[in-house]
Amino acid sequence: MIKKILTFAVIFLFGILAINFIFAQSVSYCCEKTIEGVWCMDSPQEKCETRDVCEGEKCKSHPTSCESTSYCKLGCCYDSHSGECSPNTPQKTCNVEGGVWENNAKCEIPQCEIGCCILPNQAFPQTLTACKRISAVSGVQTNFRSDIKNEFECMATVTSDIIGACVFEKEFEKTCRLLTQKECKEMESISENSDVSFHPGYLCSAEKLGTICGPSEQTTCVEGKEEVYFLDTCGNLANIYDSSKIDKKEYWSRIYTKSESCKSDSSNANSATCGNCNYDQGSTCKTYSRVEGDAKPRYGDNICRDLSCEYNGDPYQHGEKWCAFEDEENKGVDDNIPGSRHFVLECRDGEINVIPCEDKRAQVCMEIDVVPDFMNAACVVNKWQTCTAQNNSKDCLNTDKGDCDWIEYEGKDAPKIEKCIPKYAPGLDLEGDTASKEATEVCSAGAITCIVKYEKALFGKWKCKKNCHCLEPEWKQEMNQICTSLGDCGVDVNYLNDKGYHIITDLWN
Amino acid sequence: MEKRVGGFKKNKKAQVTIFVIIAIMIIVVGILIYMFYPKIKTDTNPELKNPQVFIQTCIEDEIKNSVEKLSLQGGSSEPTNYVVYENEKIDYICFTEEFYKTCTMQQPLLKKHIESEIETGIKEKVNECFDDLKTSYEEENYEVDLGRGEIDVELLPKRISATFNYSLTLTKDSTEKFKSFKVVLNNNLYELVSIANSILKWEALYGDADITIYMDLYRDLKVEKILKTDGTAIYILTDRNNQNKFQFASRSLIWPSGYGFY
Repeated sequence: MIKKILTFAVIFLFGILAINFIFAQSVSYCCEKTIEGVWCMDSPQEKCETRDVCEGEKCKSHPTSCESTSYCKLGCCYDSHSGECSPNTPQKTCNVEGGVWENNAKCEIPQCEIGCCILPNQAFPQTLTACKRISAVSGVQTNFRSDIKNEFECMATVTSDIIGACVFEKEFEKTCRLLTQKECKEMESISENSDVSFHPGYLCSAEKLGTICGPSEQTTCVEGKEEVYFLDTCGNLANIYDSSKIDKKEYWSRIYTKSESCKSDSSNANSATCGNCNYDQGSTCKTYSRVEGDAKPRYGDNICRDLSCEYNGDPYQHGEKWCAFEDEENKGVDDNIPGSRHFVLECRDGEINVIPCEDKRAQVCMEIDVVPDFMNAACVVNKWQTCTAQNNSKDCLNTDKGDCDWIEYEGKDAPKIEKCIPKYAPGLDLEGDTASKEATEVCSAGAITCIVKYEKALFGKWKCKKNCHCLEPEWKQEMNQICTSLGDCGVDVNYLNDKGYHIITDLWN
Repeated sequence: MEKRVGGFKKNKKAQVTIFVIIAIMIIVVGILIYMFYPKIKTDTNPELKNPQVFIQTCIEDEIKNSVEKLSLQGGSSEPTNYVVYENEKIDYICFTEEFYKTCTMQQPLLKKHIESEIETGIKEKVNECFDDLKTSYEEENYEVDLGRGEIDVELLPKRISATFNYSLTLTKDSTEKFKSFKVVLNNNLYELVSIANSILKWEALYGDADITIYMDLYRDLKVEKILKTDGTAIYILTDRNNQNKFQFASRSLIWPSGYGFY
């Protein structure tokens, strides 16, 4: 009896130890902080920080996911002084930074409600607290529009104060500066200025004001504005550059709006005579440069620069986006071969910006034709995972289900092969044990076993009798193509055209 | 004829005497003016006339350097969890190691954090500058009383404001008191950090951010996104007008290669 109990106890003890061992191997811990300094990460226990570096306390760790712990629960962290808000923040991380934590990971709380904060000549999306603070330090009254949530709408609310000619006497000369009424009022407080008067809507070069400022042939670009402007002899801004109006007294007298100025419905890119540039239509004010291919302006040194681009000999408008096709710079993308990647290209300000899609073709580039003659493109998720599970062309080609292609192959004497394969072969992680296991599993969907039966003829010569099509190079090639379309599988070259470890004949030996 | 020559000699002597007397008088008047109108005395260091200017000149470059360093490292002077890009350690502000999950904010309240990093970064230099200021005045025979206080840095639209709550009392013939000192630097880090916060919000809530929206909104802004093989996104925000940069890293919503079973 004692022997039995002892045996049972040993087995029980061994069992517990074994369970503990397995448990320790597989269970991940919620580390309040990892040894790499990352807050709230599910990691193996040995990666958890154990020193007193969590707000002066010992960092916690529990064998559970961080979502179920109190210290790593995600919420909204906000600063009641500056009005700054950060979503998805663990409570401890927020406390360390001196913020207030609320149990609302998306920051959908009144303190973090975004509106439009309007300052003189500036508007941006902000919280009310942040807006109050900025307005206070800028010495202006808070102008917060909680009804404007859209960033574009907010930017559009930027209004400039009425400007005009601020005429004053300085050192016995009647001079002038183009200012707002408020700024002009401030000029009165400067002791050396006298007889200060404000003339809204007038330019300093207006003859009727009788100042020393007059028309000139000089032009300038203004920060935050897209047009080319004339300058008067005192260096003040005048109207938008229009060479045909350089001698027109009226054009040098009152302020003309953009729509009243030359060719307001066009971009005026590279126009030597009109500086009414339009950024949305593809032009902006820049200093004339022959290297940039600018046309020489008739007056001054500034021009509406053409912001369009040229890529591989094709012209693209400012703002256009397209998918980078295969060329010297971007190899292997047409066939989605190992190592290749999709990119969106964007023409902006005369430069081509490269926007990479996720690596290993987890995202692919798609071109969208929204406006005629204006290309648009974006990186979209490559939905390839369900392809091999589809067994009919209808489901296979249903774009809601995935990005797949249906292939049918019928070789000479070969049974028909119908298969649903990924449209864009995904990249696979080939490093590490688990990664290669995964790659093997994905690629195995393309494995095919073909047993060829031979018969010995009367005079000892072997003759193929069954599945002879499997010996045809065409069939072999087709099978390899199916294999390579599943991912980084089969025999292929990489995007640099380097061969892999195998050649195609290795597949049927 | 002789008489004439002798008379000429006599006149010349008298003229020299008059010139000497005038010269002595000019020197005496000069000395008197110098003594009784101390205001017209020239200082050895013109910045000493205004301690505010002295501090601004002394600290400005340190703030600039600190801002530049922080801007390239994601807002941290010593990043702990970072990605190396073009020899810069860029801090992960939002990070996850897990597949299919959006990132967890590692550095919440970014603006506040940067302000505090600048404060720490310039503290030593600030003390050095105030020590120099004190020494300079003492060399000019001033009695100097310097009280050290808090440093408060604030990122504001188009500028960075640093307030030093250091009190300074200068006594010589009269007493001058300064309660605090302020240094303002033209810089648009506030705007860049606001955009970074918006991008991070998208990364934290949805796993990705569309950079072209920001370039459509802010025409002088260039946003670059560099995607690393492990799913790390490095964002580089550049102001086209002055080439000021702010770069940071995020790793969010990572998709595994293959089916992700392992």
